Amino acid sequence: MIKYLKTAQLSAFEKTNGGIVYLLPDVIVKICTLIPLVFLWKVVMSSGAKVDMTTEQMLTYAVLSALLADMLVVKTPASGWLSEGVLLKLYGRPLPVLGQLIALTVGGWVPMLLLFSLPMVILSPLLDVNLVPASPYFLLSFLLCISLGFAVDFLFACLSIKLRNMTWLICRIRAAIVSFFSGTIIPINLLPYGLAEAVKYQPFASLGGAPLSIFVGAANVERTIALQILWNLILWPLALLAFRKSQEGIVSYGG
Amino acid sequence: MADKITFTRVIKLLGISAKMDLAWFLRDTKYALAIIGADIVSNLSVVSAVFLISARFGGIGGMSVDEVLFMMAYSTLITGIFVMFGSHNNIHISRIIGRGQLEHLFIQPLPINVQLATCSFSPFTGGSNFFVGVVLMIIAERRLGLQVSFGWVLSLAVYLFITMVVIVARSYLVSSLAFYAPVAMEEISYTAVEGTWLLSTFPLSGMPPFVQIPLLTVLPEGLMAWFPSLCLLGRPPLGLSVYYPALYVIILLPITSYIFKRGLSYYVRKGSNRYVPYGFRR
Repeated sequence: MIKYLKTAQLSAFEKTNGGIVYLLPDVIVKICTLIPLVFLWKVVMSSGAKVDMTTEQMLTYAVLSALLADMLVVKTPASGWLSEGVLLKLYGRPLPVLGQLIALTVGGWVPMLLLFSLPMVILSPLLDVNLVPASPYFLLSFLLCISLGFAVDFLFACLSIKLRNMTWLICRIRAAIVSFFSGTIIPINLLPYGLAEAVKYQPFASLGGAPLSIFVGAANVERTIALQILWNLILWPLALLAFRKSQEGIVSYGG
Repeated sequence: MADKITFTRVIKLLGISAKMDLAWFLRDTKYALAIIGADIVSNLSVVSAVFLISARFGGIGGMSVDEVLFMMAYSTLITGIFVMFGSHNNIHISRIIGRGQLEHLFIQPLPINVQLATCSFSPFTGGSNFFVGVVLMIIAERRLGLQVSFGWVLSLAVYLFITMVVIVARSYLVSSLAFYAPVAMEEISYTAVEGTWLLSTFPLSGMPPFVQIPLLTVLPEGLMAWFPSLCLLGRPPLGLSVYYPALYVIILLPITSYIFKRGLSYYVRKGSNRYVPYGFRR
């Protein structure tokens, strides 16, 4: 376990190698997006349309989604490193490759949690946002979401290995599909035209949208967590099997 | 000696880029079609988020669902133009600077600005979002019952051009940092342009002025789609003139030009250390 913690620590420090000041543009962009997003939802919710969430719930949902963005839809460096030639280096280290990827990803979350999420949690009362979970099961759901996120990411990495020269393309499609169907931008139960019913049982709905809905008290906790467990049980064995089969097909030039 | 640059020469250079784009499309059609599909899906996922919110709530901040659709069509047109003219990092210039690739342009017998303006023209593989934007614009225009005249289409073209100038100028402004910190600032342009793209699709109508005004000045996301769309619909917001975007460009361009040239001068004196002697990038 210590090896993984050290790997995560290395990853966290690596982000600040150039100096913390170089992380500021990302932090500024996140803050500048979050504040208008809060007001967008305030404007939208004040329209008087009948929905299943209150304004307070919606604001909490939107803010928490921004604060935990990296964890709600997990993205490991696997796909990018495939084309950059870095992935092969992991095979030269005395730890399982997937374990390293998980540790490196978790470590990479730390700088933004400290520089963006933590300060915004402290400032959240200024945005009229209440960051107290409505259910203690949020934590369990959040962990299941992260776990499922890794499985989904590894499956996309296997797809990148299979399709070789299409890493960028897969990243684009994956970002588009996952951000929409995970409910991190719009809560799934607010989707119009019957889309909510159509998409709420697919695996991406068990990512970000599930813990967020539980946090604000807008979900059936038992059913949501049961679905998350089910998708974890289905996708993890698939991901492990696919990765084992894909490894020998890795072609990585770097550059 | 550099070629003489005339309008005809610029068109010919665009033609060369288009020809190379077509050659790639024909040589690797399956991959090119996959890229085109990915571009469309990626853009639609961004604009559909705001549109679906507006559809669910019957509009946003005084803008009707069809007006929001019109704004999303404008945003898609901008994305289309961006991809069609900027897919070779010539708009994300911090990547070229940060990777030490600016020297590659120095050896060509053409001014750098002409190379950057023409090198990326890809109507065949990059034109899909522009086409989708045109279709969305026609649908929105029909649903809104707009009186489309030649003057209105000209206004649309001018606003699209101004929006693109704002995007390019802002990208070049922040990318000037890459002259001084090539590794750390290699992706600054991406952060400034793509990182804020979702924000640029927000209809700012109904938001308080302390949110709207910064988004029309310091961080001009409101000029990416919201402000021009409302101008084209005949009701410029905040009591500002329809000429405000043009005024913004007139102020932004000399500032960008001055700062970028200073950075370039520094780069020419100091060079780049991104490549090791055997060719790999640090």
